[in-house]
Amino acid sequence: MSELFVELFSEEIPAKLQINARNELKRNIKNFFIDNQIKFNENFNVYSTPNRLVLYIDKIPNEIKLNSEEIRGPNVNAPEKALEGFIRSNNTTSEKIFKKDTEKGEFYFFKKESQKVKVSDLLEKNLSEILTKISWNKSMKWSNYDLYWGRPLKSILATFNKKLLNFNFNHINSSNKTFTDKSLEEGMKIFNDFNSYLKFFKQKGILIEQDLRKKFIQNKINEIINKQNLKIEQNNKLIDEIVNIVEKPTVIICNFDNKFLNIPSEILITTMQSHQKYLPTFDKKNNLTNNFFVVSDIKDTRGLVKLGNERVIEARLSDAEFFWEKNKTQNLVKQVDRLKNINYFKGLGSYFDKIQRMRKLSSLISDDFLISKDKIEIASSICKVDLMSDLVGEFPELQGIVGGHFAKFQGFDKEVCLAVSEQYLPNGMESKLPKKMYSIALSLSDKIDSLVGFFGINLKPTSSKDPYAIRRMAISLVRLIVENEIKIKLKDLIVYTCSTYRDQGYEFDIKKIQKELSEFIIERLRNYLKEKKIRQDIIESSTFLLGLDDLLKAYKKSLCLNKNVKKEIGSQTIAVYKRCSNILNSEEKISLETLGFADPGLFKNDYEKKLYKKINDIRKYFLSIGKDENYEESLKVLSSIKNEVNNFFDNVIVNDEDIIIKKNRLELLNMLCKTFDNYFNFSRIES
Amino acid sequence: MVSKIKKKTLSFQDTIFNLQKYWSKKGCVILQPYDLEVGAGTFHPATTLRSLGPKPWKTAYVQPSRRPTDGRYGDNPNRLQHYYQFQVLIKPSPKEIKKIYLNSLSSIGINHEEHDIRFVEDDWESPTLGAAGLGWEVWCDGMEVTQFTYFQQMAGVECKPVSVEITYGLERLCMFIQNKKSVFDLIWNDEGITYKDVFHQSEKEFSAYNFEYANTDNLFKIFEMLEEETKLLVEKKISFPAYDQCLKCSHVFNILDARGVISVAQRAEYIARIRELTKSIGKVWIESQS
Repeated sequence: MSELFVELFSEEIPAKLQINARNELKRNIKNFFIDNQIKFNENFNVYSTPNRLVLYIDKIPNEIKLNSEEIRGPNVNAPEKALEGFIRSNNTTSEKIFKKDTEKGEFYFFKKESQKVKVSDLLEKNLSEILTKISWNKSMKWSNYDLYWGRPLKSILATFNKKLLNFNFNHINSSNKTFTDKSLEEGMKIFNDFNSYLKFFKQKGILIEQDLRKKFIQNKINEIINKQNLKIEQNNKLIDEIVNIVEKPTVIICNFDNKFLNIPSEILITTMQSHQKYLPTFDKKNNLTNNFFVVSDIKDTRGLVKLGNERVIEARLSDAEFFWEKNKTQNLVKQVDRLKNINYFKGLGSYFDKIQRMRKLSSLISDDFLISKDKIEIASSICKVDLMSDLVGEFPELQGIVGGHFAKFQGFDKEVCLAVSEQYLPNGMESKLPKKMYSIALSLSDKIDSLVGFFGINLKPTSSKDPYAIRRMAISLVRLIVENEIKIKLKDLIVYTCSTYRDQGYEFDIKKIQKELSEFIIERLRNYLKEKKIRQDIIESSTFLLGLDDLLKAYKKSLCLNKNVKKEIGSQTIAVYKRCSNILNSEEKISLETLGFADPGLFKNDYEKKLYKKINDIRKYFLSIGKDENYEESLKVLSSIKNEVNNFFDNVIVNDEDIIIKKNRLELLNMLCKTFDNYFNFSRIES
Repeated sequence: MVSKIKKKTLSFQDTIFNLQKYWSKKGCVILQPYDLEVGAGTFHPATTLRSLGPKPWKTAYVQPSRRPTDGRYGDNPNRLQHYYQFQVLIKPSPKEIKKIYLNSLSSIGINHEEHDIRFVEDDWESPTLGAAGLGWEVWCDGMEVTQFTYFQQMAGVECKPVSVEITYGLERLCMFIQNKKSVFDLIWNDEGITYKDVFHQSEKEFSAYNFEYANTDNLFKIFEMLEEETKLLVEKKISFPAYDQCLKCSHVFNILDARGVISVAQRAEYIARIRELTKSIGKVWIESQS
């Protein structure tokens, strides 16, 4: 048994590309082994540092046996040259070629004897192609070469069974050497196997295996935070990125001047995380502290790295502080007029136009929400002013949040500030959801206004392109409504928004927008339900013929049925419905004209009467519940008809000789199905 | 030798001298700044035009760079509307370029064994130049000191061979070397002249010009005139003069942008117009190279 060890050394490959390259290499090499029926340790791993992409697989046989096979050559009528080529490419002689009839005519054949092949030969022959197959999300060329790679590829080390594998990959020849100094690309050293390679680098503090690097970094951080009573954010995506931008991690705790803690913490955190890749720390009460972590790629023997990074954050925070101090006192209300100069979108006016529309819409919503009209109008008016601030110029990702802080500083109502701060939330499936009514109202107005606008100027997304992230906007709208259990007439709000656009002189085709936008939003609801792991048939059923105003209803019913579909109340209800509807469906062929109700005068027995009474009881129930339906209760009520239905079918023959009686009984079943349909379209549910 | 450099603070002008000497020894043609207002060293024809076409080329030069929107009236310690870049362009990109670059840092007193030098992903794109490249920003202890880019496309044309561009932000680099918190405190020469002495007044005045006084009606007209002139010169197939007019267009656009008179939609349109000019000039230049 042997091991394959390959190292691809390049200039620094960015974190995401590295991960992508690891996965690609892993998949391609795996396919190669499987396709060639070579056994290998399937639990192998691909490792990477910014400069090294490393493959290691053990438990590979040195030789494999290829079974004998007949290889088809050219047709016997083909020109002589074709046959010569066939003989040459199979490395054989004309004596060993024979003719044979096949369905497609007579062909030349060559019988390849069973043979043993060295795996190292196969690897040498195929490695270049395996590497070529790596598909990079982004790749580049350099110098005079034609090769595309994530960043310039400098050398390839490849050994099998501790012996060099010799092959060419574009302009690069493989060897059993690599650079031990990644910075200067010096210190060429021979490595014949993976373990000595790992060991060598470990002695230098370089961890080739990303999982070990991650553990190492986490342990070092934990050591320090435990000592100092600090916390860092859980599930930190940044750590995953940091792991892939260092090979020799050194965790350094640094700090900045306490005075900067007066700046809103979001600004500090964004500066540290997104701009500098530092890990901010928090105290036990979750307040940001002035300590932060830097993960350096060298040992900081003279303390220069710590000093340098502290100076950098100091400079950055001074900048932020300068802007914060300048912007926070700029009167929000007085700046509203300046929004006239800021284009919202070509064809949809300025931000000033947008907030006028939002103000009207949110004011309409405030009636439904029973919140103060004045407050929501104020929030709408000032919510976009922060777009003109230096801070949002510096930190575009903090739009809204920064505005909320300005509003707070200027003494606006607490709920207004929060609404401004949360106006862009939620932003997609994963994002935080506003819970306060003012925030919800403002966010709804913003999203509805944008959706109507973009559909109005025909910029709706196509199946492959969504440059303005309109899908995300609609999904966020769905989440706002269903997760907060908001009862609003979305249809009316869309029509109203069209009128606010019209008042400003934008002529949209209202009917077209309504139709397209409804379909679009309902499609998002379906996706949303899918994400929530709702059964596909339940989704189909709940969104079939759904109106825009019933998003919440459809959501709740789907959730309820999904939860109960395998339980008694669910399965019984479906069984009852199916039993009745199956009969109706089979009878439809004789074009039964249903009236929609049965005539009690035509009932022949108690079973019919009892079923009839039960159906009417259920109908009364549905009439009485009004707006505040408890869907589980409804399902229970439906399932309670089981006995009456069973008794009916056990004792009554629908298919009576008297066509009038028969029709009346079908009417009864039809009544039942119709009643059930009030709750849910069960016909689309698989039993 | 190294220890000597460390004891004496390297002045702004010595930093430039050292880099010039270093790259001169590496075989670069040391040029002087281009005599037009440009937004970055990349716009110098010695980079834009010479990165196109098959002929090898190595150059290094200082380029004053103007970014009207970045002006802060001299009030901000890190932000200037006029600053210096040290630009290196080598075509084709040499194999040992990383080593050569790291050694250039040593020449100005930054030893890569003592500092955390990091190559952080930063793919570059210039919509007005129709240019794109892959590379990094180089961080020294968390401070961005260099842009390092492999050009993939310039003036809308695929680069073959590929050039490598190394752009040092001289002020930032010197702030790091001299341990200064404000750009205005940088020591310019050994006589104690500071950056403030040299540039503070002009920062203040140019900020006022860029944000308040530039005559936008005239500038809009000038833009049109320059655009027309560029097109005419492209027809005459003289790439250098055409490119000069195009650079002027670009700068006029930048001032208009700083004055806040260009809307988002217009902005994209103006950028597209400049890009079209650059592309047509690129074609003329490449024809002249074969």
